[in-house]
Amino acid sequence: MDNINEQFSLIYDQYIDKIYRFVYLKVNSQEIAEDITSKVFLKGFEAYKNQYQTPNTQHPIQNPGAFLYQIARNAVVDHYREKGRTPVVSADASPEIADPGESAQEKAILSADINTIKKSIKKLKQEHQDIIIWHYLEDMPIASIGKLLDKPAGTVRVMLHRGLKELKGLINES
Amino acid sequence: MIQITQKQLIEQLKTLKEIEPRKEWALLLKSQILAEQKAIPVSVKIKKTIPVPFPEKKAKSIGIMDILSSVFFQRKLAYAFTVVLFLIVGVFGFAINTVPGDLLFPVKKITEQSQAALTGQTSLKQEVATLNSRINDLAQVAKDGRTDNIPSAISEINTKASELAKNLKSNLVNDPQTIKEIANSLKTLADVPGTDLTANPDVKDLYQAVVQSQIADLEKTTLTDEQKNALAQAEDLYDQGKYADALEAILLINK
Repeated sequence: MDNINEQFSLIYDQYIDKIYRFVYLKVNSQEIAEDITSKVFLKGFEAYKNQYQTPNTQHPIQNPGAFLYQIARNAVVDHYREKGRTPVVSADASPEIADPGESAQEKAILSADINTIKKSIKKLKQEHQDIIIWHYLEDMPIASIGKLLDKPAGTVRVMLHRGLKELKGLINES
Repeated sequence: MIQITQKQLIEQLKTLKEIEPRKEWALLLKSQILAEQKAIPVSVKIKKTIPVPFPEKKAKSIGIMDILSSVFFQRKLAYAFTVVLFLIVGVFGFAINTVPGDLLFPVKKITEQSQAALTGQTSLKQEVATLNSRINDLAQVAKDGRTDNIPSAISEINTKASELAKNLKSNLVNDPQTIKEIANSLKTLADVPGTDLTANPDVKDLYQAVVQSQIADLEKTTLTDEQKNALAQAEDLYDQGKYADALEAILLINK
């Protein structure tokens, strides 16, 4: 790789689908998902190039994937904060989240099953959502998720189990 | 109601992998992000510290469709730019042949002003050139028999003549060439069939300014007896308000 642009281009190609999917499952529409994903990569690129412009930086980006996921998590939280609503409050009290942004086209693309899971995932705790998405959709090993969340692998495994159980209950209820 | 099992749930979760961003959006976003900064060379030392993100999966290579799609978008942009360029050139090209009263005439005026600004013409020379152009427009309109355009052409001449007269009165012009040019323009105007503007106040003002300037200039010059007589005659005509005739007499002296 001869320059930062080429490096980031590869990172972009590797993560665009994953980050978009991660965001899309947490928000209400394709438009919002695209908007947030754009912000994530713009911010990611800024940080990525800045680490080379200031070589003495204290925390160079060791894992671009983890870095992008972290930006995406924060961006989603910011999005809901700006909107003045919280998508998930607790595992016990899960408010119904309106889904006004879904177009007919989106509905056609997503099958009924996918829609049900998507809606149910949104009702989970944020950490449970993240772990389920990373592990089952992105095939991320438990150890990598642990590093990402700064938690021991055992804790992640327990959270994954609880999240899955809760999700199963939500889907069976619906 | 059929209860979903954990295995079925995991299977269904994996179907969510079908969710993908729109290809064109992803390509556009990538080009926008990377266009923000030109290539920055990375030193070998820094390169060594770059880890391969999530080594379990190899980076997705850019497919042929991605490249084609990218080229298509660039071409679309280039075509749009070319079309706009052709339209602009076409409008300006077409506007050159317009006359007052035509739809594109304002474009011609803008072009003339831009040309004058680019060539660094003085305000007076620019006004003379514009007046000349408007008189030629009137001559063309009269020749083509486009009666609808004549009032607009005359109005344009009046405006320019008034501006030029004011300029001549406020600044004494010592450049005989410029005055001669104005005089020739006025003669051309007088020769346009069916449009006698000598009685028009703005044009009359311009005649007066030119004659006044010429008389002042000739009074300072050494003249032969014959020329002195012609000048006296021109002064008489000027006093009588016959500025067009006075200008004719002055032009004879200058010959």
